[in-house]
Amino acid sequence: MDPAALAADVGAVAAIGGILALERRGAFQFMVSQPIVGVPLLGLVLGDVTTGVWLGSLLQMLWMSAVLFGANVPPNETLGSVAIGGMVLVYGRYIGPAEPAVWSVAILLGVPLGVLGRSLEIRLDRANRALAVRADEAAKAISPAGLDQLPPMALLRSLLVNAAVIFVAVGAGVAVLMVVFESMGETLSYALELVAFYVVPAVGLAVALTTVRRRRALVLAALSYLCLVVVLHPEWT
Amino acid sequence: MATSLSHGAVAGASPITGWTLLRVLWRSFFFLAAQNYERMQNVGFGYAMLPALTRLYEGDRLREAMNRHLEFFNSHPYMAGALLGASVKLEEEVAAGRLPPERVSSFKRCLMGPLAAIGDNFFWASLRPFGAAWAIAGALSGILWAPLAFLLLYNVFHLTIRAYGVFAGYQHGERVFERVRQLELVRFADRSHYLSGAFLGVGAALFAEEARSASVTLGGGLGALLLLVLTVIALLCLKRKMSMPVVLFSLAGGCVALVLGLDSMFPLVQ
Repeated sequence: MDPAALAADVGAVAAIGGILALERRGAFQFMVSQPIVGVPLLGLVLGDVTTGVWLGSLLQMLWMSAVLFGANVPPNETLGSVAIGGMVLVYGRYIGPAEPAVWSVAILLGVPLGVLGRSLEIRLDRANRALAVRADEAAKAISPAGLDQLPPMALLRSLLVNAAVIFVAVGAGVAVLMVVFESMGETLSYALELVAFYVVPAVGLAVALTTVRRRRALVLAALSYLCLVVVLHPEWT
Repeated sequence: MATSLSHGAVAGASPITGWTLLRVLWRSFFFLAAQNYERMQNVGFGYAMLPALTRLYEGDRLREAMNRHLEFFNSHPYMAGALLGASVKLEEEVAAGRLPPERVSSFKRCLMGPLAAIGDNFFWASLRPFGAAWAIAGALSGILWAPLAFLLLYNVFHLTIRAYGVFAGYQHGERVFERVRQLELVRFADRSHYLSGAFLGVGAALFAEEARSASVTLGGGLGALLLLVLTVIALLCLKRKMSMPVVLFSLAGGCVALVLGLDSMFPLVQ
């Protein structure tokens, strides 16, 4: 393991994460910051697209209901998913295989970051009050240039704060993963694989199903699940 | 050629060109950059309107116009394009002396809520979950470019609505809401939920299949059944207002404790 290369990769994850966090709300909103896109993108950069796509799918479901309705501030799915994706992919690149037990621990470490991200966003919005005051001053002084510089300032602040949080979270997360998996017994590893394959997808599916607003659509979900299970395994029926 | 009047408005042919509207459209992408709790997206709205305002006004009237667009504003970022376009049209009328300035503010106040409701329902509550469910099902069935397809699908709607909003808003002014309503986004949104449900079911089955082929195989259809049972438990917990992290930690903790407890009685891993 080359610590400098590892730190450079954590830095790359933080830079990408900071940009994605901007894209999530402050700029463009093309949805590149959604876990299903952002985590595979990290995988592409760190050389493991397949893990990125799988993890991105899981995380997308977990945060499917995180929606910016009106003044509501939802958990920050981008911060959480980039941190989780970064931990797993960096661990897989330098320490050991990025197997499902690693995903489980990374997800349990990273999910609270989504909640932390919400508090962070609230604080950034509060700090933006000063920019609103400066906008009034720019209008009073008839200075379009004064108003022009305010959104870029807000974006820069958001970029730096989010990138710093992701850098610390991924660095600390990889360290925790190293310690945990160095001394992990086979039974615990088996239990964590069960969490990765059954508990996380189940909770993710449940969250995703709460976004489906038609009762008959839930029936359709159950039917398509059962049909595909039967098609894949006719011997079970 | 446009000439400056003594009261600060710029007279002559309309100074608002296609390029001005394109600049407004570009700036609308940063609409939420400086969102704040006091006046929400006011800085973003004022920033987006600047290319038009600086072409329409000078001096004190520019100050008044900037202040008008730094008032409280809260709407859906994509749908705000329509309000921006219409506001440019109204400002043009105000600059020409055909409308009182208060009309612009009252127009924005009246329409920001209804447009936000359409945008929230269509984009946040329908198109994004639908696209994501489709991408998840696609990615799990081995289509690695499914996330890219999600981006394309989503942004065809996103960019069309944004650009249409600015240009149709400028063309139709105060009647822009009628034009947006005619797009029937709400009806599409309603129908997309059925497809989202179907795709999520497919995704669930593919997760069960992946688990079966991994090292944690649970015999026969037990794995598929376990996933179904856990999903129903999690859904019931979420419906009882438990948060996702609490449900996740509870079920994961329960699962680990169960495996460790069972292992101490009947060794599971040889």
